[in-house]
Amino acid sequence: MRSPEKANLTLKSVGAGSLEILFRVAVILLFVMLFVPGANPARIVDKVNRNLSLFTSGFFYRDLVADMGRLLDKGWIRKGTMLLVYFSSMTACLGILAAVAGACMSLGNAPLKRLGRLFGAGGGAIAALGMLGVSRAHAELLSYLDLEKAKPLEPSGISVVLGLCAIVIALSLLALALSPAPAKGERARLDTRMELFLLLLPFLLLVFLFCYLPLWGWRYSFYDYHPGGTLSKESFVGFKWFVFLFQNDATVRDIVRVLKNTLAMSGLGILTSWCPMAFAIFLSEVRSVRVRRIIQTLTTIPNFISWVLVYAVAFCIFSTDGFLSSVMVNAGLWANRKNLLMGDQHIWLKMLAWGMWKGLGWSAIMYIAAITGIDQQLYEAATVDGAGRFQRMWHITVPELIPTYMVLLLLSVAGILSNGMEQYLVFENASNTNPMAVLDLFVYKLGIDKGVIPLSTLVGMVKSLVSVALLFGANAISKLVRGSSIV
Amino acid sequence: MRHRQSIGDRFFHVLNHSFFILFTLVCIFPFYYLFINTISSNDLVRKGLVNFWPIGLHLDNYIKLTGVGDLTNAFLVSLSRTALGTILTVAASGFIGYIMTKRELWRRKVWYRFMVVTMYFNAGIIPWFTNMQMLGLTNNYLAYILPGIVNVFNIIMVKTYIESIPKELEESAEIDGASVLLIFRRIIWPLSKPILATIAVWSAVLNWNSFVDSLVLMSAKPQLYTLQHRLWIYLNTTNNLQALMSTNTTTVSAAILEGALNAKVVKYTIAMVTAIPILIVYPFMQRYFEQGIMLGAVKG
Repeated sequence: MRSPEKANLTLKSVGAGSLEILFRVAVILLFVMLFVPGANPARIVDKVNRNLSLFTSGFFYRDLVADMGRLLDKGWIRKGTMLLVYFSSMTACLGILAAVAGACMSLGNAPLKRLGRLFGAGGGAIAALGMLGVSRAHAELLSYLDLEKAKPLEPSGISVVLGLCAIVIALSLLALALSPAPAKGERARLDTRMELFLLLLPFLLLVFLFCYLPLWGWRYSFYDYHPGGTLSKESFVGFKWFVFLFQNDATVRDIVRVLKNTLAMSGLGILTSWCPMAFAIFLSEVRSVRVRRIIQTLTTIPNFISWVLVYAVAFCIFSTDGFLSSVMVNAGLWANRKNLLMGDQHIWLKMLAWGMWKGLGWSAIMYIAAITGIDQQLYEAATVDGAGRFQRMWHITVPELIPTYMVLLLLSVAGILSNGMEQYLVFENASNTNPMAVLDLFVYKLGIDKGVIPLSTLVGMVKSLVSVALLFGANAISKLVRGSSIV
Repeated sequence: MRHRQSIGDRFFHVLNHSFFILFTLVCIFPFYYLFINTISSNDLVRKGLVNFWPIGLHLDNYIKLTGVGDLTNAFLVSLSRTALGTILTVAASGFIGYIMTKRELWRRKVWYRFMVVTMYFNAGIIPWFTNMQMLGLTNNYLAYILPGIVNVFNIIMVKTYIESIPKELEESAEIDGASVLLIFRRIIWPLSKPILATIAVWSAVLNWNSFVDSLVLMSAKPQLYTLQHRLWIYLNTTNNLQALMSTNTTTVSAAILEGALNAKVVKYTIAMVTAIPILIVYPFMQRYFEQGIMLGAVKG
């Protein structure tokens, strides 16, 4: 007798569960609709900026009518129409936000769920009302707009949002009807696990927006895109830029030159990567702790100033008006002042030197800490056995530091394509462009300065993928050799 | 018992000390040189005669530059983003780090991986730019603040740190019925102050030094340029003071030009203003900076 009843109950709860999920998905879609400029229901005329989302249209009137000052002044588009669009959009936004709140509440216990459904139904209805307002404004606009002045659009977003609203309302009402009324006196509350999740959710959204969403920008490398243009079926070119990258002679020459610079500078960095270790070893030979501390503090300062300031430092020492010229000319050693920042001689070495100036003291810190951790008895025993200073360094200190060194070395090999662009950007001038161009700088100048978005995106994308592969490779080697991973 | 120093030993120490003294001088002298040139007689500076010690002390340069509108503005932008960015990052890192230690969190592992994975890839600068454009964050002050709030590296550090705190305190508070937020505020936050201080100093330096976001994102709004960006612009413009001032500022008063300022002094003074916060704060906060890299190394 009892088992069919139980089965029925399970069936009902399963049904309710999938309804719940459908409801949340619909609400999430509505929420996304708030921020997708391409589907902005408020864009009823081409003079509404194409980059505007429903959210912006509903809360920032000035942005909504930014491009139609004259149209409004002359009365070609009536102010009333745009105000109707504005307030309807705002209504829709508020409704959608209420529905989102409802979806969050649906994670709670029975009374909270009930409240959430009321919010869902109410919010959906309000949002739908807003959409009807927008379509009313649209109809109004069509009735009087002179097609010479502006082009009315048929925003598909209206029907999408309306459809989603209908789903949300229906599901909320259905769930309200299906679920039994909660026991009287039961207070609305949220499970700790869901409460924690909801507290975390805004931050997860930020991570999504700023770390994952940029990957969506890789699609530009498949389009023939110019700044200010659009991505459409017509501008889709498939792998054209991939082929271009390998077949256009000028581009190939550029890439080869840039890769040469990148690998040379990274290579020099890797070749000198033992320097911080040596710095630390010799610094630990300075007996006075206080002197050691002072040296450490003063030599790490350059690491904390920006590359722009490093350039300012270089400027004040090496430029025409700088220290070196002044001293040499005053002493009569040079006839004329010189600007040593100009010219393309030894750029790779100069950049290496600036990197060292900035980073050597700081990179040594980790080794210094490791040295303090070495068992002093090892040194004493070695001294008793007659080992000299350098033998102790070579046979005790160095082997103790090698594991740290290997990790850092593998990481720098993995980052061989990424030397950053700030250093090269600030030190670059008309006379040293060629040896200075590293991959990151090349991509920046191609994309931002020249506005060649597709090609620069492509180069950056290939670089990113290769870098990830290198990192995994380095990790695999580390696992193989050291038995532990580095990432 | 100390060994008697042999000649070889002495020779080694002299050489070793000389190297470190020399390298330290190389690191620090440029700042000293910048500084004495900004407080010495501007006429002598122009002639290149102030090289080792200051002559004719005065602070006019610093006072006069406060009258240059775009500099004051850039200074305020940098200062405010540093303050706001640091506070938000510290608060968010502490909070998320704490939530990530809670086993009750729904799908904890999934969310943790969702965040950690982002440390290993990077879409590239152009997708970053088009993304910011799409989000309406170009020429918008919020572009300085929002992307920095969640910093995964900081979160990992806080999480590791909180996991090392004995659980009992938190558990007893839970039994007393304290809410998640209350426990965080009253127990976790005070206990994790050392790690939060480390995050604060790192974040402050990163914010103060940031240059590329101003360069790439704010092209249409010069009033949002950071101090680093302004410094770069000044360093790269002509040496003619009149031209320097007129291309870079709209509100420069005649009084400033009348004074004995010259292009060299202007550039040096701006550089000094940009460097001073770091030069002053760093030695006192060094401990926290070092803590950061050690904890990072433990994790790595």
